[in-house]
Amino acid sequence: MSREKDAANYAVVFFAAISVLLLLFPVSKIAHTVRIAASYSLYPSLHYGARYTHYIRNVPDNFVKLLETDQDNRLLKEKVKALEVRLQGASALEAENARLAEEMRLSRALPWTGAWARVINKTPADWYGSVFIDRGADDGIQVNDTVIGMEGGRAGLAGRIFEVYPEFSKVLLLTNSAASAVCSFAPDGLEALVEGKGTWMLKLNYVPEEARLEEGVEVLTSPGGLLFPAGVLVGKVKKIYQRESFMNFITADIVPAVNVNTLKEVFVIRRNLPAELLGARQAEKK
Amino acid sequence: MSIILEIALYLFIGAGYWWWAQNLAIFGLVPNLVFSSALCAAILAGPVKGIAWGFFLGLYADILGSSMFGANALTYTIMAYAVYIVKRQFDLDSLFSQLVAALSLSWTCMLFYQGLGIIFSRPASLDLRVFLAEPFLNALAVPVLFQIFYRLKRKFDVL
Repeated sequence: MSREKDAANYAVVFFAAISVLLLLFPVSKIAHTVRIAASYSLYPSLHYGARYTHYIRNVPDNFVKLLETDQDNRLLKEKVKALEVRLQGASALEAENARLAEEMRLSRALPWTGAWARVINKTPADWYGSVFIDRGADDGIQVNDTVIGMEGGRAGLAGRIFEVYPEFSKVLLLTNSAASAVCSFAPDGLEALVEGKGTWMLKLNYVPEEARLEEGVEVLTSPGGLLFPAGVLVGKVKKIYQRESFMNFITADIVPAVNVNTLKEVFVIRRNLPAELLGARQAEKK
Repeated sequence: MSIILEIALYLFIGAGYWWWAQNLAIFGLVPNLVFSSALCAAILAGPVKGIAWGFFLGLYADILGSSMFGANALTYTIMAYAVYIVKRQFDLDSLFSQLVAALSLSWTCMLFYQGLGIIFSRPASLDLRVFLAEPFLNALAVPVLFQIFYRLKRKFDVL
């Protein structure tokens, strides 16, 4: 301990003496030499500081910029998400626009007058039964007006107006088990009754057994049926069932011309039907 | 090996103090890292090495200044010796004692430096803001630097 203390005493005397000498003779050669030697300790700060001054001096600024970049990054990510959502909406609108443009083009070629309507509601419990459209009595829609849809560039029978409200209407789809339409098919133009089955498929009923009915044949609305204008495509024959022993006619499955699952817009044909074919309330109005 | 590391540490302290003073000064105030390092070295190192650290760090402070070359070297040398004396009586490893030592020695060193100015030069005006605030900044810096030095001493046997 004493040795350590002695060393400490010698050290403090030594270094203190040098310091005092430096203080006493600031302009002497030895002071100048020490100053130059000591100045090398500044070398790293000044040399590398000057060389990397941009990086070293701007550390606080860069840190702030890093934080700001992080915040910007978060904002941009949120914007990207929002834009992706809008993009999806835009693509849906674009598809709808293309579809509507096609329907407009087709509607000019349609021989009927009427109005376009948008399907605004489908009830899951009555999926193949009915839909609501955004046109009603205020738009001149009447009960039993024919409703057609567009599929593959052609108009097909979708159903008829079942209930009319001021601003919307209910459409009874042809696939409804309570719906039917008198139809005819090539080549002889024989008439038969197309009925809904409550599924996506239709049933062609009361076809005479001697009729030449083939699969793939188109079934059109017949002039004999008053509810629907003649010549509207109803569907195509998918499968023919032979006559049962207790019946004297054959039946067939019909694939509807309009797919209810993809129905988004419909064209309501104004029929101006005779009052006796309209519902009681509509007839009263007339 | 340790001497190289000590030189590197010495240069790093100088560079760190220079950078802090350049870029992180608040109202012109920065903790005197050179003084704080000298104090930490005096606490951790043996007497001779502690005094040598005080002398050379003081020289660095003198190089940074423009008057009384050797005044800081003398001040820190004597401070290191005083710490060597005091640490035999008090435990300077604890946080509180480091705070007290940093505060009291900062003011003592400033006054001593002013006294040297009276003797060897002309009385310099004492910046009251620095005189009042810097010791507290030093008191905050010393425990941090002490932990760094302590870990360096344990890991690389410097000081």
